[in-house]
Amino acid sequence: MHDPFTVLGVNENAGDAEIRRRYLALVRDFPPDRAPDRFREYRAAYEALSDERKRLEMTLLRTNAAALSRLSMAALNSAPPGQARATRQTVAALLAEGIMRMATDERRAGEEAGGR
Amino acid sequence: MKKPQRRGPAPSAPIGTLEARAAEALAQERFKEAIELYKLVIRQDPRPEWKQSLADAYLGRGRALAAKKMFKEAAMVLENTLGADGTVRDPLLYLTCLILDGQQQKAAAHALQYVGRENALPAAGQTALDELTAALLVAVPQRPVPVATGPADSAASERTRWLELAAASRDALAAWVNGASPDELDRQLNRISLRSAFKPVRLLLKSITNSPQDAERSRRLLEAVSPGSPFFPFRQAVEAALPCERGLDADGWNRLSQAQQAFVAQTRGLSPATAQFLARSAEAERSGPAAMFALLLKQPDLPPAEVRSACLNLLPQLPDRVAQFEKSFGPLSALERHRIQALAAEARGDWEKVERSWRAAAAAIADADPQAGLSRGVIFRHLAQLAAEHREIEGDDSDDPFTNPVVSYLERSYRADPDYVPAVLELIGHYRKDAQLKDWHRLADEAVQRFPENSAVLLAASESAMARKAFKKAAGFAHRLLKIDPINPTVRRQMIELQVAHARKQVRSKRPDLAAKELSAAAEWERADAPSALLRIAHGLVDLQTSQGEEVQTRLREGVQLAGGGVGGWFRACLEGELMKLAGANATLLRRELAKAREMPPTREAVMAIVSALGQAEVVENKRVVSGLLLGMRAWLTQATAIDWPPAEFQALADTLIRFGAFELLGEFARAARRREPTNPVWRFHEIVARADGNADRLYITETNELVAMAAAAADREDFHTATRIERFLDGSHEAPFGRRRRRRRRVMDDDLPESLDADIIHAMMGSMISGMPKAEAKRVRDLVGEFGREGTVVQLVRDYKGAFGGNDLPEPMLRMLCEAIVAQVMDGSRPGQARAGRRIPF
Repeated sequence: MHDPFTVLGVNENAGDAEIRRRYLALVRDFPPDRAPDRFREYRAAYEALSDERKRLEMTLLRTNAAALSRLSMAALNSAPPGQARATRQTVAALLAEGIMRMATDERRAGEEAGGR
Repeated sequence: MKKPQRRGPAPSAPIGTLEARAAEALAQERFKEAIELYKLVIRQDPRPEWKQSLADAYLGRGRALAAKKMFKEAAMVLENTLGADGTVRDPLLYLTCLILDGQQQKAAAHALQYVGRENALPAAGQTALDELTAALLVAVPQRPVPVATGPADSAASERTRWLELAAASRDALAAWVNGASPDELDRQLNRISLRSAFKPVRLLLKSITNSPQDAERSRRLLEAVSPGSPFFPFRQAVEAALPCERGLDADGWNRLSQAQQAFVAQTRGLSPATAQFLARSAEAERSGPAAMFALLLKQPDLPPAEVRSACLNLLPQLPDRVAQFEKSFGPLSALERHRIQALAAEARGDWEKVERSWRAAAAAIADADPQAGLSRGVIFRHLAQLAAEHREIEGDDSDDPFTNPVVSYLERSYRADPDYVPAVLELIGHYRKDAQLKDWHRLADEAVQRFPENSAVLLAASESAMARKAFKKAAGFAHRLLKIDPINPTVRRQMIELQVAHARKQVRSKRPDLAAKELSAAAEWERADAPSALLRIAHGLVDLQTSQGEEVQTRLREGVQLAGGGVGGWFRACLEGELMKLAGANATLLRRELAKAREMPPTREAVMAIVSALGQAEVVENKRVVSGLLLGMRAWLTQATAIDWPPAEFQALADTLIRFGAFELLGEFARAARRREPTNPVWRFHEIVARADGNADRLYITETNELVAMAAAAADREDFHTATRIERFLDGSHEAPFGRRRRRRRRVMDDDLPESLDADIIHAMMGSMISGMPKAEAKRVRDLVGEFGREGTVVQLVRDYKGAFGGNDLPEPMLRMLCEAIVAQVMDGSRPGQARAGRRIPF
């Protein structure tokens, strides 16, 4: 499971009320009928954090790999997303990657069909 | 398997033979050979079907080469299947080979050949070919030259349209890259038809321009780019770059390809240092915690608090870096230091250190911390959990050596955080299991006062009250529980049993009127679909005492029928009458009805109904009453010895007879069964048990030897159930139904005591030695039991103690007894001096 603090977008010092408010807001935006996977993820994160003792268990008893995730996230989110543009080379590389990936998938599918 | 020998082409052979060999080679997938042979055949007679077969052989060879990742060679071979219209036999394979060989320009030009052709491929393949063609035409920087196949054909115009769409797509991408405004971009995107294979380009760019205003709509647009599409990696990159309610996490970042990461970094406008950190962090994370720690320490641009937190969380894996950490971020708090040491010790399985460090961490939590109690509770519960799994964790030094460390830590957790219900219930469960009755009842009472609305606590309190025979109190708890959980069938049954038990007390106290009220109240817990035989019988018996006339028996007879009718039903009624201490006409009525029912020959069902009735807790506690009843049933039960009893039912019956001391009857059942089946050792075992009145001390030597051999034979044939039962009987184990725990050995030992020694003094000395036993010794005993089992540990301890504290002066049986007592104390976790029948030191 992903770090529940990150999933819900709250920090480690958030209280019960804040966590619940955040969870309800997310579930309102992504209800289970429309986004079942997201809902499951939010639900699991909320259950992991819904109790003060569970939060303490997470912070006291675990070697929290999420701290690294949070650091990377902080780095990634240090600039507002979507404001700048990618380069021509990057776009070309993405198109080339897509073509190569499809060719590879086609070849694999062909091999599997041949194997059968 | 031997490879079949290939035959080379023989140009001089007749054409028929050559063709046959070519067809054989093709069928056996010897494509190279088939190609050579078909070439020879076609040179002599270029029949269309043989040309077709040659193309098949080329196709097979091309596939084989592609499977070996020889894409250039495969493409060359496949070009031999080119038809007059410029198409190959398997266009997707050919294009794949060209692309994987890096010939995208050629692939794009060739892909265009299939545009506008009807039924070039099956539907699924056609979609894939269209998508691939569109992606190739967008990606390839120069416009491929279409190959004319005829004047003014519709395919040519379709190809022209595709080339225009590809150009529009490239223009739109270029406009976005060059920073075009959304309006300008929209104009470009409107040139791309949403019905064309270029639609993904429009969706991708539209989702990017939409994202600042409506990220959710952007995501929906992106969902239309399917995972099989060549534009899918582009979609993933755009998704990662979109604003998101929780941002992109490190996992998501690491899953991106290099091109996708570059796209995200560029569109987010990350600084070069940050982009470099992100690129290196994925690699450092793969290299291990030390590399990551080193990388983190060199990040002055990142938020210091986040960097400290990330480094702190790496320390349990790198405890030797604590000094380096403190140099960079300042000293660790005592709690952090002990926590790191505890987690590091857990990782390497050093459980003694784990225990010391967690205890120190709990002690280091400042009382002023508002979460101090909760944090200590969390740590002590963690220690309790570890203690259950690792014998090395042995509890506090201040505890006596026989305290179960799990219980000890749960008690500490309860003291630190008394409001945590699951821990309270767990502790109650431990007290109950360990027969620490006083603690069990005290904690159950405390818990129900603290959590009066908690159904699990109410159930625990009800069970505790019932065990103390505080029926009214137990009923009160059950009543409250049913208010919270009205459809709990177990509690309903329990409620009825409790109120019936209370009614019995009132009848015995000559207050049938109060008993009737109690039973009327109990009736409200009866479910309409599952009437209670016990309640009807009890109520019927109270009716007999409070009313007159034939109709008063209605409820009683109803209950008897519910209890199975006949002997089974009336036995239950008689039993209830005995428990209520009914006398006079009413008791006579019951005995008369039971006698009348006994006129019918016994059945298995009726006997099992009696066994079931005798299994109630209150019945077990009134053995004298039951023994008297069984005496009256003896003749009828003797007839039941003729029934061919299945082993499981016989076992239940035998246990009941043993429990109530009906050994003569048991002997008759065992002998009858043995006559029917002489070779079954189970019958002989029960015959011996009955002969010895269930007391292993009364066995003859020959019987002991016979039982020992019987147990060994049962173990050999993997009938461990029988083997264990026999061993328990021989051992007098407290787990056996015989209830004569270790008496036989004790008697032998008492006999062995030297006359010069005062037995009481020796017993007192032993008790004192056990209670003063050092913790290390208790731990050693646990280790030995884990390794050698209880018996092996006793042997080892006898050997060890012979040379200690004057052990040579003590007779070996006595030493052995001491060692058995030590093992029992350590492993069963009882405290010296606790007067509990089941766990008392056996001397």
